Amino acid sequence: MLSAVIDAVDTLVDDYDLIDFLQTLCHRCTELLDVAAVGVMLVDQGGKLHVIAASDEHTRLLELFSIQHDEGPCVETYRDGTARLDIDLDEPDRTAGFPGFAERARHAGFAITHALPMRLRERTVGVMNLFGTRRQPFTETDSRVAHALADVATIAILQHRTLVHGNLEQAQLQAALSSRIVIEQAKGILAEHWQTGVDEAFEGLRRHARAHKLGLTRLSRQVVAGEIDSTDIQHP
Amino acid sequence: MASRGDLAAVLGDLRSSASAAGLIGADAAACARALAVDGVAVSVVVGDGLCELVWSTPGASRHLEDLQFTLGEGPGPEAAATCGVVLEPDLTRVRDGRWPALLPEAVALGVGAVFCFPLLLGGACIGTLTLQRAAPGPPADAAVADAWMVAGALTAVLVENAGRWPASVEEKESVLYRAVVHQAAGMISVQARVTLAQALVRLRAYAFRHGRSVAEVAEDVVTRRVHFRIDQDERGASDRWRD
Repeated sequence: MLSAVIDAVDTLVDDYDLIDFLQTLCHRCTELLDVAAVGVMLVDQGGKLHVIAASDEHTRLLELFSIQHDEGPCVETYRDGTARLDIDLDEPDRTAGFPGFAERARHAGFAITHALPMRLRERTVGVMNLFGTRRQPFTETDSRVAHALADVATIAILQHRTLVHGNLEQAQLQAALSSRIVIEQAKGILAEHWQTGVDEAFEGLRRHARAHKLGLTRLSRQVVAGEIDSTDIQHP
Repeated sequence: MASRGDLAAVLGDLRSSASAAGLIGADAAACARALAVDGVAVSVVVGDGLCELVWSTPGASRHLEDLQFTLGEGPGPEAAATCGVVLEPDLTRVRDGRWPALLPEAVALGVGAVFCFPLLLGGACIGTLTLQRAAPGPPADAAVADAWMVAGALTAVLVENAGRWPASVEEKESVLYRAVVHQAAGMISVQARVTLAQALVRLRAYAFRHGRSVAEVAEDVVTRRVHFRIDQDERGASDRWRD
């Protein structure tokens, strides 16, 4: 059954190492958190969720994922990108949006379920779904670990997709580091011109940036590019 | 052997490390313990084949990153260039000709095994996670899977934090491990009248020739114990500088 689902989403994923990795991840999830079953649901281009990896492949579990085409906590989590934790499957208030799903999950022996968005920045690529057999809510730590594991699944999927967005995110990371690097370089340049320490150079840089309503990074770039002479900046 | 709780703690810690003080706020030593190695380091590719160290345990891991930065070769640059994992379970048995300058130095540091994982996103390598330990030997299969998980969590944290990070630019204390290297490059560019890229090359070459780390030499430049000024008597001989 899982292979049929994989076929359905192989426009999204054509790397079986990825499936292996996600299966290992799901399994590890059951060890790291007190949960009995875990599945990774991936969204297709039409916005439908498909399970691509699970901690085990019992039909009853896979059905729980597959019925979430239409209803279930994963559908809701995917829709608004927010996690739904500690859903007591016996609690009609918590399961009002997905009574059919809740009933099947109870039949499969589960008491609680959690749905976490697999999201990087504003992009949600899928949902991680966890099931427990005991009615025990997550601790604060459990919640962080679950989110981190959902992050790992997200990255695993995104690292295999060549996306314009991926390059954009890399560019932002590089820009964040470069902006810091250029400030250090500008400190060095001014310190040498003024024959002062780098802390004093930074003070001068910051004062000039504030006085001229320039960003520190922008001013530093100008210093490094030689567009601003060090004599134009007042030595503090 | 690391317990399962260790990995959970590291992942949870990474997830909550939206720190204004740096790109990664989690405890590197705890991460090393969870992955059953002696040290970990994360470097981010900033372009021109240069990697910037952003997170590390102190000691050998940090020195190993410095060495690779100085020499421009090693498992980190290789993983970054190929987007592939580099596993070297025994540094004394690496084939001839591979990392000729780095290997003796790494072995002298007491590094026996190195495992380097690329941080991959959208088909590109944004950085590396390098694990090292003194005892040679291959990593356990489970440890490799766990390392990939940590690599994924690190990638997510880096990308998430990078968006918020420019806000911390106003702080005086730099979040860069090698802030002093870039300060020194700025000073050298003025002293030797070269570009910043050339200044960095000179700094690295000086460190290599004197068997010292780039960070140490940079510290000496910033505290004015070493300078790269063109010698007064030989003005115009632009490639000469005093040691």
